[in-house]
Amino acid sequence: MEKHAGFMKALKCRECGREYPLTANHVCEFDFGPLEVVYDYDRIRHSLTRASIQARPKSMWRFRELLPVAGEPTVGLEVGCTPLLKADRLARRLGIRELWIKNDAVNYPTLSFKDRVVSVALSRAKELGFTTVACASTGNLANSVAANAAAAGLNAYVFIPSDLEQSKVVNSLIYGGHVIGIKGHYDEVNRLCAEIAGKYPWAFVNVNMRPYYAEGSKSMGLEIVEQLGWRIPAHTVVCMASGSLLTKIYKSYQEAMKLGLAPEARPRIHGAQATGCSPISTAQKAGMDFFKPVKPNTIAKSLAIGTPADGFYALRVMKDTGGSAEDVSDDEIRDGIKLLAECEGIFAETAGGVTVGVARKLIASGAIPADDSAVLCITGNGLKTLDAVVGHAGYTREIRPSLREFEALLDAEEHAPARA
Amino acid sequence: MPPKKSKTPAASAAPPTHTRLWLMYPPKLITNPVIWELARKFPVVTNVRQASVTDEIGIVCLEIGGERPHVKAAIKWLEKIGIKVEPVEISVIES
Repeated sequence: MEKHAGFMKALKCRECGREYPLTANHVCEFDFGPLEVVYDYDRIRHSLTRASIQARPKSMWRFRELLPVAGEPTVGLEVGCTPLLKADRLARRLGIRELWIKNDAVNYPTLSFKDRVVSVALSRAKELGFTTVACASTGNLANSVAANAAAAGLNAYVFIPSDLEQSKVVNSLIYGGHVIGIKGHYDEVNRLCAEIAGKYPWAFVNVNMRPYYAEGSKSMGLEIVEQLGWRIPAHTVVCMASGSLLTKIYKSYQEAMKLGLAPEARPRIHGAQATGCSPISTAQKAGMDFFKPVKPNTIAKSLAIGTPADGFYALRVMKDTGGSAEDVSDDEIRDGIKLLAECEGIFAETAGGVTVGVARKLIASGAIPADDSAVLCITGNGLKTLDAVVGHAGYTREIRPSLREFEALLDAEEHAPARA
Repeated sequence: MPPKKSKTPAASAAPPTHTRLWLMYPPKLITNPVIWELARKFPVVTNVRQASVTDEIGIVCLEIGGERPHVKAAIKWLEKIGIKVEPVEISVIES
């Protein structure tokens, strides 16, 4: 074991089980399987109880024994503890008895669940002695790395495709890090970034820091369990890009049960994708345990990963838990965004529209029974993907500054409210 | 018929490089001796580290070593014949 390992034991290959020291390493040298953090649950059981958790500040770090940092966290101390709200109006519209929304659209500081994984990756990077952090991203991850690195005083390199929309570029540039636009198609950019990650002694959050980074997602599931009154939800719907979030939500439920934080249950985890990039849901529906890579073509850019790194493991979780997968068209994604906004006052990014649209389909098909309870994981804020809904969100009606014109407009309304 | 020697870029000044890739074969290429052809066409060292072949897809984890321009040309050729090439760190670019 490392000298300062906290509650971590080792990194372990998900395929062959070989163990590695707790360094910045993400792939097994023997079979190239992904590495995952394993913990000393016997020690954690003595330290992490319902009482100890509830006595801690309201952030994701109240579950710190289950997050892969050796000492006290140093980055993103305010991240997490986002609202879990009972969505009665949306439940009625979707036709289910009970529905909850875990709303990471208001996560701190950059309005997406990525702040969870990035604060873990950066805290661990500082422990391992890195002074420069990096990522390759098309949106939420870039914003989060740039912001959290700035706040932590770390040097940041953010790689983006050079044709990214200006609004997304500004969301990363504003924090003062190095933002590098790379000319080329997706595969070339991907390979270059893998090469850079291999050559420079930087903490690439989703490459050499991936085992630590990915564990941050568990905090979303652990918060759901606590906010439900220490109960594992019967059904959870999670959007899938790489598939990592879905696998980590399940891991968090397993850990909560293993540690006695929640009673034993049989949670079903359901996966949501956009039809324009649905390698995992297509494979799940066909009953396959592998996926075929696709070329993404969807408005849900934050889910547009054609070769999902954790696709195989996400398929396994859905199979093991009796979960389902579905996908929705671009129009259904916009309908999902509007439905969530109109029913619950939450403006989610396109990935949220995917989750709502897929939940609607799974409830209609009976995969999620109408008399049951479900949690929908909303992962990002709609202000980040305005382009996807511009022209689809309705229209304004303009009048001159005249009461007569306003009342004429009201009269013209089909359902104009009665005037006093 | 033996494969034609393709032109490979000059590699004199470039340092050796070593890369780890996932190759994804479409069904029509599964029966082709692609890696043998690759080694004949380009002066690179190949090492299969993992493979899984079904009727629907072939997935091979391949290490390629050699002068950087040769490695890049080899990857380009793989893509040209219809194989999807990803670094072992797939999904480096996230949303």
